[in-house]
Amino acid sequence: MTTTIEEILERKSHAVMRDPKLAHTHDIHESLLELEAKGEIILQRVPEPYAEVMTKYGRTKKIPFEHTWHHKSCGQCGHIPGYTSSIFWLNRQFKFDYLDPTDQTSCTGWNYYASATSNKSAQATVMARNFATAYQAGYYPLIHCGTSFGHYKEMRELIVHHKEVRDDVRRILDKLGKPLVIPEEIVHYSEWVHVMRNRFAERKVLDLSSITATVHPACHYHKVVAEDAIYDPDIYGGQRMATVTATLKALGINVADYSTWFDCCGFGFRHILVERDFTRSFAVQRKIETMKKEVNSDLVVTHDTGCVTTLDKSQFSGRAHNYKVGIPVLSDAQVTALALGAHPFRVVQFHWHSTDWRPFLEKLGIDWQKYWDEFQGDLEAIRAGTKSGVTWADADQPVSYR
Amino acid sequence: MSSEKILIIGGGPAGLEAARSIADLGGDAVLVEKRERLGGTPDSEGYAKLTHHWLDASEVLGKLAAAVTSGKGVDVKTKSEVKKISGSAGSFKVEIDASGKAESLEVGAVVVATGFQHFDPGRATQYYNYYSFPDVITLTDLEKMLKENKVVRPSDGQTPKKIAFIQCVGSRDRQVGNEYCSKVCCGVASKQAVELREQISDSKVFIFYIDMRMYGYWEPQIYWQAQEKYNVNYVKGVISEVLQKGNQLLIRGEDTTMSRPMEVTMDLVVLSVGMEPSAGTRSVAQLLGVQQNKYGFIEAGGATGIDPVGTSQAGIFVAGAASGPSDLDDSFAQGGLAAARALASVRRVIA
Repeated sequence: MTTTIEEILERKSHAVMRDPKLAHTHDIHESLLELEAKGEIILQRVPEPYAEVMTKYGRTKKIPFEHTWHHKSCGQCGHIPGYTSSIFWLNRQFKFDYLDPTDQTSCTGWNYYASATSNKSAQATVMARNFATAYQAGYYPLIHCGTSFGHYKEMRELIVHHKEVRDDVRRILDKLGKPLVIPEEIVHYSEWVHVMRNRFAERKVLDLSSITATVHPACHYHKVVAEDAIYDPDIYGGQRMATVTATLKALGINVADYSTWFDCCGFGFRHILVERDFTRSFAVQRKIETMKKEVNSDLVVTHDTGCVTTLDKSQFSGRAHNYKVGIPVLSDAQVTALALGAHPFRVVQFHWHSTDWRPFLEKLGIDWQKYWDEFQGDLEAIRAGTKSGVTWADADQPVSYR
Repeated sequence: MSSEKILIIGGGPAGLEAARSIADLGGDAVLVEKRERLGGTPDSEGYAKLTHHWLDASEVLGKLAAAVTSGKGVDVKTKSEVKKISGSAGSFKVEIDASGKAESLEVGAVVVATGFQHFDPGRATQYYNYYSFPDVITLTDLEKMLKENKVVRPSDGQTPKKIAFIQCVGSRDRQVGNEYCSKVCCGVASKQAVELREQISDSKVFIFYIDMRMYGYWEPQIYWQAQEKYNVNYVKGVISEVLQKGNQLLIRGEDTTMSRPMEVTMDLVVLSVGMEPSAGTRSVAQLLGVQQNKYGFIEAGGATGIDPVGTSQAGIFVAGAASGPSDLDDSFAQGGLAAARALASVRRVIA
């Protein structure tokens, strides 16, 4: 006969199974289909082939594998370009059809979240213009930036639920000669990495079992319009978002839990602008130090521009006050690319990261100096005028790290 | 053809009271209960003392069930479910799966008493870590331990000395979609706090609340006693997260009285989980075609809008927690009222 304690522990051992019929939030897909039926919007369907995954309240989300229009991130391209190049490199390894557009604009989401936005119609039109551009190019938007992803989910709500905004947006788009297009799903690149994780794992060239990583879930991914994030009963019993953690586990990395996982990285949008010391202190003391103290993490992995930047660069600022925690911070795309043999400098671009990454690479048995020398050779050639820049021809081929 | 028989769906407090009342009034009822035992959630979840005058739950519900099963006028079918219903007030045709056997009934009215289920704290409030930490438990988990007079930490079997209740878990919470108050959790938590102090005399018990909603006589019967006689500490403030710290739990939140954030370690954390419509309430409502509110409870009000047991369908009545959070007083009262209304409706049709 089971005791009360055994009963309690048994109940806790089960994953939370979510029934979409019991979701307390409206299913945006239904509204989008209604608007399409009325001829108010063009609903861009997720191209085949795609994967179907479960979101927070048990609904299904479609994630495309290819034919993707890469909506890049200002912060990634500006501060951590290895993030973007890793995403492209992974696509190229599978010879996926994708488009790296040159006519995409910033989402202006940082303004919005830092309370410096102009007006709601202008804000929503920025999204609509980018989506229309992707549609006209015949590709499906894949959003690199967590800020853009969260912001676009909010703008989608605004357009769907407010006719006056919809009409405003349509009027502006008319002037640009673009239709009002909303994709069937707003897809974050980390969701693409998530559905590709097992295929990535099949091609990995590195043994990552010696690595203990901590995951920072991006607020704009799992807190803003929370129902759109991917959950999986096998990841924390379906209690936390599955993206990133599932990818790292598939790659054979030991993912360790820490007590402040739910906290913001410190970026905070407004804080990084007006209270930067708070951001730096929060990132170092509340997040990084906790990870180090509680689980002695070798690596922090996250999936957003602001989070990678804040958690990494704040450690540099902390050094001025003798904080010497020193955990390198990478995106899931960069870790995955490294695992598959991406060049540490031509592709992953560790040199843009301020926290010392050398001990991490050495723990993996990677002779980083050899690859650094190769990269320096590229730069010499560029200086000498014999090479215009580092191209995919230099970087496509995976390295063996031997 | 009209029938005077009344179908009661659900054998919890409201359904049992409806059955007893119909029998007392000389009516004829059939009670269909999905579980093997009568008594509803208070029985299946193993409630100990009731906030209702501190009576023993199994004794109260046992007496009620015995009155129904031993008297005349009520045909009790356990392990049974309603599968199909058609017709209208005065003449419903019902198909039942009675312990695996198909049966057909003709009834004149229906009383729905399919009750509630406790909010699953893992559904959205991941920051309380119910599924991560063994020593974060719910009111119902604690109730079972109190009944056995053996309250221990699930992690190590040790007796807890510092225990915190967190109120409004799954109630009054827009984030999870349950914006309503579940009505009983403040009373139940306070009752359990007193029982804890009785069973573990050297324990310290804290209740963290938004505001304590001690309806009617619960104020003098439970709330004042808890504070004045049993030294239960009430702290006004919402707890934001529960974390592991060594072999204890660290709770973080805000003490609004002191206007400051707080961090306190506890041995055991009890989540005061609220009420949601049971799976049976949702499915029976769909089967009968009665209107549900946005939370899934059956919309009460009837034709007048103020009838506490009337539904959107003539001849179909609702009682107890199937129509919204209810304490036992509400459930018994509504069960009795639904019985009277149902009986009156069928007699009116027949007359």
